Amino acid sequence: MKIEGAAIAGVGQIKFDMYKDTPSVELARDAGLLALHDAGMTLTDIDEVFVGYLGLAHQVGVKAVKEFGLTGLPVTHIENASATGLFAYREAAWAVASGRAEVAMALCFDKMTEMTAARVAGGNQSRGAGRDQLDASILPAAFFAMWAQRRMHEYGTTPETFAKIAAKNWNHGALNPLSHRQPDHVVTAAEVLASRMIAEPLTAMMACPADDGAAAIIVASEEWVRAHHPDRRVVRPMSSAAQSEAYSPGHAFLGPVVGPATMTQTTAQEAYEQAGVGPDDVSLAMCHDAFSNEELEYYELLGFCEPGEGDKLVDAGETSLGGRIPFNTDGGLIARGHPGGPTGAAMVHEIVLQLRGEAGARQVEGARIGLAHCVGGGSVCTVNLFEGVD
Amino acid sequence: MSRVSMAEDYFEVSDDPDNPVRLKGSKCQACGEVFYPRRLVCAKCLNEGTDDVFLATSGTLFTWTWVHVPLFAKTDSKVSAYGVGQVDLPDGPRIQAILNGEPSDFSIGMTLELDVETLRQDDEGNDVVIYRFKPAGAAS
Repeated sequence: MKIEGAAIAGVGQIKFDMYKDTPSVELARDAGLLALHDAGMTLTDIDEVFVGYLGLAHQVGVKAVKEFGLTGLPVTHIENASATGLFAYREAAWAVASGRAEVAMALCFDKMTEMTAARVAGGNQSRGAGRDQLDASILPAAFFAMWAQRRMHEYGTTPETFAKIAAKNWNHGALNPLSHRQPDHVVTAAEVLASRMIAEPLTAMMACPADDGAAAIIVASEEWVRAHHPDRRVVRPMSSAAQSEAYSPGHAFLGPVVGPATMTQTTAQEAYEQAGVGPDDVSLAMCHDAFSNEELEYYELLGFCEPGEGDKLVDAGETSLGGRIPFNTDGGLIARGHPGGPTGAAMVHEIVLQLRGEAGARQVEGARIGLAHCVGGGSVCTVNLFEGVD
Repeated sequence: MSRVSMAEDYFEVSDDPDNPVRLKGSKCQACGEVFYPRRLVCAKCLNEGTDDVFLATSGTLFTWTWVHVPLFAKTDSKVSAYGVGQVDLPDGPRIQAILNGEPSDFSIGMTLELDVETLRQDDEGNDVVIYRFKPAGAAS
């Protein structure tokens, strides 16, 4: 959908990390307070909250909002696997664009370190132990490794390309104080290739960590944002496209699934059309790089190059900071981290900093339009476009 | 002692060594699309009504990987590496399953056939089995 009349009022994110002894609602509180401070608000100003997590018990979202106070505002839980954070943002943006709220917050948090392996793999779905065990017999890493194997078979891609993308994201993470992984040296593709093998050809350094975190996005009417922050560049949502999977031959109903790769392509086309822009207009992109081979596919599916040409973008450094279309400038899922719920909110956080010109050492010069993409198991996909204007 | 399926709604097993496992699928009564596992409503044409069918017992390996972490589906976590594949059956469905064999046994496009793997013994001493694929003609 095209989004008009809304702007980002505030963003907040805590460093993604392992927070063993910190309750999840306190992670949420800290990120939410950062966003409220960034917006210059208290909870009184917020008309509606959408909470996003996937690894915690029910009700935790509404309890987390109580950490800011009890004002009686409506709170709704949103869950869409890895894409949860972007879907919570999407609802906040639409609540404002539709006019039903002047100010809405997406509050996203999670503790992957408390997720059980069976739950990660989709267990406990009330479909009987047999199906749960069949579903759980294939790990997400194996699923994405099978993508990588198919890619190598079809296009002759080598594991070095996947390693270069991972190294790039590790090195982007070194420039981001909120990144979970903070390498103290320049990570090389050789180092990535030499790390522990998980599912061939994917190594541990090509994979995101399991971590904890929180991030919050506050969307308000553009009038509100301009009135309260007259000296700040305004970041406007342009469009938000979302899909669940359409049936196609070759769909696997059992085991992990994120839909056919083309889902990203059709979702992106919808987002571009609604926003009235194309890939050439985009200054930076955030994508679901749970495994680095995914990012290679998304270069092509998001329209930044032709099918099979993504490897050349990597070799030319075009998706690194300083290149034509930097991807995952905050380190991506691989370095910044992937706590689940807050992952998509962290993407929006990074795009907002970049479009405001507040991204410090990793600033993309002249950044004007940002793209945030996530797929989620089940399967879902969302592509969101933002523009920075004076 | 005999073999029993760990998920009888999904596959059945027999003691016949030539036909040890059959996957339970659905065929749409309107458009003929075939699905695994069984379902009431056709995912393609949305027709409400499918017929129960048994699926082909061999197919083509679409993609696969070799996983270097303990096997999830086995109570015996001493298995430290194993294959996982997506197999396209000639009647349509793509099946994700564990592979029986060594890395050198597999390549994209080859023919695989269904096989069973014992997960545990139940209280009556039966072998509780899950399905897996192996290279056509390979020993179980």
